[in-house]
Amino acid sequence: MAISSELIKSVTAELYERSLRKIPLDAMDALVGAAQVESNETARHTLRIMIKSAEEAEKTGQFVCSDSGVPVYFIRVGTQVQFSGHVREAIAQGFDQLVSTIQPPLLPHITNPLTLERGYKGAGMPLVTFDMVDGSDCMDITCSPKALGSGRWAALEIFSFPDLRTIEKYVLDVVARAGSQPCPPVVVGVGIGGSFDYAAKLAKEATLRPIGEHHTESMVADMEKRLLAGINMMGFGPMGTGGDFTASAVHVNYAAGHGFTPVAVAFNCWINRRTRARIFNDGRVEFLE
Amino acid sequence: MTIQTHRMKFPLSENDSRTLRAGDQVVIDGEIIVTAGLPTHQRLIRCLDGLEPLPFNLLGQTLFHLGSYCQAKTSPQGIEQLDVVYINPTTSTRFNDVMPRLIGELQLHAVGGKGGLDARSVEALKKTGCVYLSFLGGGATLHTQSIQEVLEVGWSDMLMHYRLMRLRVMGLGPVTVAMDAHGNSIYADTQENAQTRMNQIMAFMDGARQEAATKDKC
Repeated sequence: MAISSELIKSVTAELYERSLRKIPLDAMDALVGAAQVESNETARHTLRIMIKSAEEAEKTGQFVCSDSGVPVYFIRVGTQVQFSGHVREAIAQGFDQLVSTIQPPLLPHITNPLTLERGYKGAGMPLVTFDMVDGSDCMDITCSPKALGSGRWAALEIFSFPDLRTIEKYVLDVVARAGSQPCPPVVVGVGIGGSFDYAAKLAKEATLRPIGEHHTESMVADMEKRLLAGINMMGFGPMGTGGDFTASAVHVNYAAGHGFTPVAVAFNCWINRRTRARIFNDGRVEFLE
Repeated sequence: MTIQTHRMKFPLSENDSRTLRAGDQVVIDGEIIVTAGLPTHQRLIRCLDGLEPLPFNLLGQTLFHLGSYCQAKTSPQGIEQLDVVYINPTTSTRFNDVMPRLIGELQLHAVGGKGGLDARSVEALKKTGCVYLSFLGGGATLHTQSIQEVLEVGWSDMLMHYRLMRLRVMGLGPVTVAMDAHGNSIYADTQENAQTRMNQIMAFMDGARQEAATKDKC
């Protein structure tokens, strides 16, 4: 048994579509929890409208946000997985088909960075990152369409033998620079170490971790907790008009590196777009969120 | 503090605008003009420079940074018309460079989007009598429900969400007055507060880090 291109095409397209109409449960829970304890009245009001907006989109099948982003997939392939056709091509075809059939239609957000022309196709699209998982017999696909609002504020700096304070100050500075603009409350993903490209990948993956799930190492989990507390002391609040909830989570991932330490910071906006499914060799599909 | 919510007819007059205070909420009825395009803003500047005519009257109007997707539909009476399928705000700071001129020279009394505008616009808002309204990002479903009619489309040669759309809305919002016509900007205040608090925040983090390190040693 092997996973067909046709199945990859339909599942990746469906993941994209689902991500546009429904926010993940953890994001909804975070908003509901925040609305109960937020001390700023305008912020509480904004949180309540966020909840209503997400509920209404889900109920009516409309998009939560008009910026449907660009297609971004993270795929972990089990070493036991067999394919009966092309994989990259299937994902691209799935997106093409989605563009031609989805209702309401998508706006053309894919942008040539050199000419600024926009459309539904472009170099390297869809953006797909592959990883291998030893021993697994499934293809684990996360779809996280990236839009301008939060995508714009990610940053990376390379330090030499930084202490934790330096790293944490940098994260706070990046969050302060983004301020009101990435549609807070955001999920902040931090990638530390590895190499230039690897740190960025770690940060991006950190934004995809479910809210409330801490790093397994207590030293890192502690860092996540104090960064979240520190960020929420800044006071930007929901939509940046003041309040206690600038971030609903901070997730930190790290990898060993040399003495030069890249620190990457990435954001997801409050709708925290993320859907995930597994495809097994026997053609079984499991939608996880 | 209780939030003041005002239901107002748009476009706002200069007086209407000056009655609003940062932190107030507004529900919008009436006519608004929307676009999400940076090229549209650059083209508007060309109009102000006399290089091209404005597609329709913008003087004294409302300009919101909202992107829209429209489809042609036929009414039961057989009339072809445009239908807004969805609408949502974009980040206004992208237009920081051009907004002071647009606010001043077009005498706009309400602008808006999400994320705010910089200090240069604070001055323009004050001088012209104009407010900046913060829309919920990711509020497409709610915002779209308030649209009654597409009144006019300017620059149909541009991408759909770059076009200037004149819309009639009923009950759009509530939106937050995030910058008022009296020099107040919630964005400037929150950014200043964040910077002022930074030393205190770092001291808190230093303490928490030390505590965690001690705990790990036990």
